[in-house]
Amino acid sequence: MSKVNGGFAGKILRVDLSTGAIRCEDTVEKYGELLGGTGIGYQVLWDEVPPGTGALEPGNKIVFATGVLAGTGVPCNGRTAITTLFPTCWPRPLVGSGHMGGRFAAQLKYAGYDGIIIEGRADRPVWISIRDARVEIRDARHLWGSGIRRATLEISREMGNDSVVAAIGQAGENLVPMSVVMNSVSHSAGGIGAVMGSKNLKAIGVQGSGGVRIAGDKAEWERLIKFHLSILGGNNQHVVPSSPHPQSEYYNPGSRWVGMPGKRWGAADPPLEINGGLYDLNRIAFRSNSGAFFLGDGAWKYTVRGNGCTACPIRCHTILKVPAVSAKYGIREVAQNTCAGMVFGRSFFKNLPGGPQGETAIEACMVGMHLADDLGVWCNYGQLQRDLLKLYYEGTLKTKIGAEEYASISWDKYESGDPAFLLDILPRVAMRKGELGHALGLGTGGLLARWSIPEETWGKDRATNYWKFGHPKHHANEDDGQCGAIISTQYNRDPQCHSHTNFVRNGLPLAVQKKLAAEIWGSPDAVDAPGNYTPMNIHKAMRAKWSLVRKELHDSLGLCNWMGPWVASPLKERGYSGDDSLESKFFSLATGRQTSREELDLIGEKIFVLHRALTIRDMGDKEMRARHDLIPEWVYNDPAGTPVFTKGTIRMDREDMVRAMEMFYGVMGWDTGSGAPTAQAYARLGLRDVSRELESRNLVPEKK
Amino acid sequence: MGTEGKEELIPRAAAAAGFETTISRRKFLILTACAVNGLAALSIRGAWGADAPVIIIENAKGLILADPTRCVGCRRCELACTEFNDGRSQPSLARIKVDRNINFGPGGLTSPVMGGAWGNGVFIQDTCKQCPHPVPCETACPEGAIKADPVTGARVVDAVVCVGCRLCRKACPWDMISFDEESQKATKCFLCHGSPKCVEACPSGAIAYVPWLDLTREVPPRVSVLTVVPAEKAQSCLECHISK
Repeated sequence: MSKVNGGFAGKILRVDLSTGAIRCEDTVEKYGELLGGTGIGYQVLWDEVPPGTGALEPGNKIVFATGVLAGTGVPCNGRTAITTLFPTCWPRPLVGSGHMGGRFAAQLKYAGYDGIIIEGRADRPVWISIRDARVEIRDARHLWGSGIRRATLEISREMGNDSVVAAIGQAGENLVPMSVVMNSVSHSAGGIGAVMGSKNLKAIGVQGSGGVRIAGDKAEWERLIKFHLSILGGNNQHVVPSSPHPQSEYYNPGSRWVGMPGKRWGAADPPLEINGGLYDLNRIAFRSNSGAFFLGDGAWKYTVRGNGCTACPIRCHTILKVPAVSAKYGIREVAQNTCAGMVFGRSFFKNLPGGPQGETAIEACMVGMHLADDLGVWCNYGQLQRDLLKLYYEGTLKTKIGAEEYASISWDKYESGDPAFLLDILPRVAMRKGELGHALGLGTGGLLARWSIPEETWGKDRATNYWKFGHPKHHANEDDGQCGAIISTQYNRDPQCHSHTNFVRNGLPLAVQKKLAAEIWGSPDAVDAPGNYTPMNIHKAMRAKWSLVRKELHDSLGLCNWMGPWVASPLKERGYSGDDSLESKFFSLATGRQTSREELDLIGEKIFVLHRALTIRDMGDKEMRARHDLIPEWVYNDPAGTPVFTKGTIRMDREDMVRAMEMFYGVMGWDTGSGAPTAQAYARLGLRDVSRELESRNLVPEKK
Repeated sequence: MGTEGKEELIPRAAAAAGFETTISRRKFLILTACAVNGLAALSIRGAWGADAPVIIIENAKGLILADPTRCVGCRRCELACTEFNDGRSQPSLARIKVDRNINFGPGGLTSPVMGGAWGNGVFIQDTCKQCPHPVPCETACPEGAIKADPVTGARVVDAVVCVGCRLCRKACPWDMISFDEESQKATKCFLCHGSPKCVEACPSGAIAYVPWLDLTREVPPRVSVLTVVPAEKAQSCLECHISK
């Protein structure tokens, strides 16, 4: 990459835990063409981790990497992508990335690093202390066995109150694949905990006193940031409020923009009435309340405030204070999280007194956050809880674990919806206690194999949400028809992509979405309403490509793909359009390297295709269409037998999905027969070396 | 300012210290006795000279007022401060300080009541008090580099005069002076010439630019300070505070 004057911190830290060697590499020189984040992660795995390496072997590496825009004032940055061979990917570990927000990314940049590559294995528990240029591997034997909270507090005592600590809990230490690394109370990356544990790495603590230079004119930078703020919606870039407001033309009950004048942070001291106008930029932080969105209006009275990542005005990690749980369950009365992390506890139960938004449900969430975020247990987007529900209520579980163990578990609490059940079950998982704790901690793939349950049993049951390779769907056909389904086939875990769903679920009427779709993807036919699908067309394939490319771009720039892209806005005067070039405008100003939207998208595509190449190499198989891009059986069925392309069903048509995959491979420039990139596709993206390596392994499709 | 007689200085100093009504010299001295005890104790009469600088500066017209119940800990204020003023995203340089309280609150891990994200969920924003006379940072500066902005009255560092000695940092009881390692100059809240960037940037309306009030009486000090007063300034103090 040509010289850049800003954005990058400049160095990548490389820590070899086997030898204790600590080195620095020049980010731009070595990895600049791949920006950062997953781009660097995939490159390191491609260059340095040979196929066949086990996820928990010393040869696996962990790449914590942020990006050019992390640590700046660009709204919705703050992300760290953590790339490694994923231990929950089944039947063999393949490349995957977990993503955490919080304050880690900014702090790492201020310390002078764009990323950290962790390699080898320490001979005893250690943690890494990073204070600007001073980096040390320190003894963590006194921290081993403690939860994330205690580990964080002890490290903060050693480093200082303003340090940011990313730590694993007991689950990671015990090499439970379903485990996380966590920073800033609640910001976790799934799948990473056990890989850190396998390296005897308890935590990374960071303090930084430096800054990120903005190459461009500061007044222009300020104008662009203010423009970005003006086109922000609520969480997930939902651009209309969830209930009517006189200032808004539209509203949509499904919108995550739930906070508006009239609502109240009831547990603030004193309680705080949200006031001002709906679109006031000094009120953006009130728009999101994950408590209220997921747990209902009853959560407002427990809301202390919104919290979230450095620099993000959308505070999606809601802090709740529920005094009753202190005496009832012996836990702290304050907890915070968002989305799947917030409902972790509730999701275990089939029935809860008062229903899924009642007081008991809220208490279950508090207990779940308290335990999971300290033990460092991962739910794999609710797959852990859905697996247990299916195993228990179908009677399978009773046949798989011993009678004595079965009798020792408080199933009465499970059935009656008593949150105290979590105090029993979650430590079992984190400590690998008993057959059940051990099996659940493996993740779905490992569990099914261990108990000789055919994968199809899960794949045909829509209630499991199971997709493939041990992982669930994530915004698939239930949100976005063929586009969502295509996206769910592309990764080795759930896809973690929100580019597509953030558009179709943005709350605008379909007619407005179609108008915007015509501008962005060339045709109004690029979008359907969720649950009211039409047959596949080329514009949907183009949108799937755009979604994946932007996902990788965001993950490599330090931006949040849970919020972006920002192609729609709440602004009626703009016809509700956002800005499709925002990322490249920020990138150009930050680095001083003028880069167009098309040029930056090409880099995003390159990163995505590098992930594809890594997957092909490590599978040793180019038949991606047949053996990687799989779609579970439940997608093609409807419980009520509703025909496809009928309003009210998310059922997909088998023939139509064949066409959808072919169109997608087509727009990617890949071989439609195998679904593998061609030599030309690699060459177009500057990946000739990758192509040659794969050709030597016979993993590039022949020219037709 | 240096040519005024000391009798004229008293009402002016009283105003600069936040007293709005006319008060007697005696009352003024009693009220400010605590603040200047350290200066009087230095016993540096020998350093008196005819051209000693007068350290009483005009009071600020406004300041940044924080509401912790609204703060969401996003640090957009810190980033607006440094990006829009300095062209760098560097919170260590920010003249409003939130990050240091986000984890555990201002008392840190030694506080009996843990604040911040790991404690009670409350975030406290630290802001410059634009102190009344005696202004600790201004008084401590041996170069006279800290002055009142002619428009806002904000206490501002004149980067041309600042020599980077960092004595002002040691003097601020609220630890609000930042130091730019790159330029080797101190920097502090200058109210963005009357249009504070942090206030504009706050997504929850948790900070406001309000008419000046004396927060030095409301907010407990964050750190213990090293009282170093340059000799010629100490003389100036004694002009009013010790009867001859």
